[in-house]
Amino acid sequence: MGSDFYQQSILPYAGIIIKICRAYTHSQEDFDDYYQEVCLQILRSKDSFNAGSQWSTWVYKVALNVCLTNLKQRKQGEKHFVSDALPDEVQDDLKAFNSDDINVLYNAIKHLSEIDRAVILLYLEEKSYSEIAEIIGANTNGIGVRITRIKERLNKFINAQEGTHEQIN
Amino acid sequence: MNKSIETMWKQGFISEGELVVPKVNDLYNRKSQNLVDKLQHMFAVNIKAIVIGALLLLVVMSLIGAPWLGIYICVLLAPLVLMARKELDKSYNLSKGQSSLEYLESFNAWLQDSITRYAIYYKFFYPLFYVGMVSQGLASDAGTRVMARLLKAYPTDYVFLDIPGYVWGLITVLLLVVIKYSAALYRLDLNMIYGRQFKKLEELIKDMRALKSE
Repeated sequence: MGSDFYQQSILPYAGIIIKICRAYTHSQEDFDDYYQEVCLQILRSKDSFNAGSQWSTWVYKVALNVCLTNLKQRKQGEKHFVSDALPDEVQDDLKAFNSDDINVLYNAIKHLSEIDRAVILLYLEEKSYSEIAEIIGANTNGIGVRITRIKERLNKFINAQEGTHEQIN
Repeated sequence: MNKSIETMWKQGFISEGELVVPKVNDLYNRKSQNLVDKLQHMFAVNIKAIVIGALLLLVVMSLIGAPWLGIYICVLLAPLVLMARKELDKSYNLSKGQSSLEYLESFNAWLQDSITRYAIYYKFFYPLFYVGMVSQGLASDAGTRVMARLLKAYPTDYVFLDIPGYVWGLITVLLLVVIKYSAALYRLDLNMIYGRQFKKLEELIKDMRALKSE
């Protein structure tokens, strides 16, 4: 990879890529692979970047599109589809962040459908509804309603998890 | 839960500089797991495999005394190689910088377009391949001997090119079956290999369209 391009145009946005890739992966190996794939795709498609839009928005788009189309073959017997919750045995072995809260939140996000993950990640990154709609390719009007629903589901999931922990403790 | 998800997110990333960035050394040599890349890689490998396979077949057929069948199969496979090369080039033009829905739709459109083209090709390939194999079989010494024995055991007035009419009938019926099911056979084969990925892609697009219409 062009070292200068990586240093100047990708590394400053590594946080975006890391946050997105983390939401779509369950192991360090997959995470590294997705991260590298996003970097590679940014490099490959940089010529089609429209100078009129923001580079960070472009990075979001490429990162999400790579993660969404990463339809890799899963282990035999695991049959997840878009809206499926992850089975209990698929535990996240990727604890890339120090904060317990963020790991709890990521665990909850990973139980969402792939599209809902994209929407909530962009929302948490404080993207406006119109920016989210532009990146996803959705209608702005539907974003707000969808975010409300997603947040309810996340809160419910996190509360359920905390309840389980309290019972164990 | 005491904190809102917004607070959890913000506090979790107070210092983004502390995020551990994976190494990106030797990027091009790393195994890619992206579906587009995977398909592009498979297409490229397939093209090489078809060319090598066709040439090997030509050599083998020549060695067993059927060089014309080898040449015939090479000619049949030539359009496949050209088409695969063209599809591969098209796939490189897909931009990931579109909105997610546009990207997935363009990716799916490319995929469906490729499948349609391959299905058309295979609709001709399978019957022509069958005709080539049957012709070679009938023209060979073994085939001639079998036909002579058949005529002796089951004589008939309807004989063409020393082949009994009932054999022609059987060959024709099988040819019609191959013609009828060649496209279906290709799609069955395709679904067995990629069915799950295709289904997931459809689900993704469906979900995004639902979000767009909300």
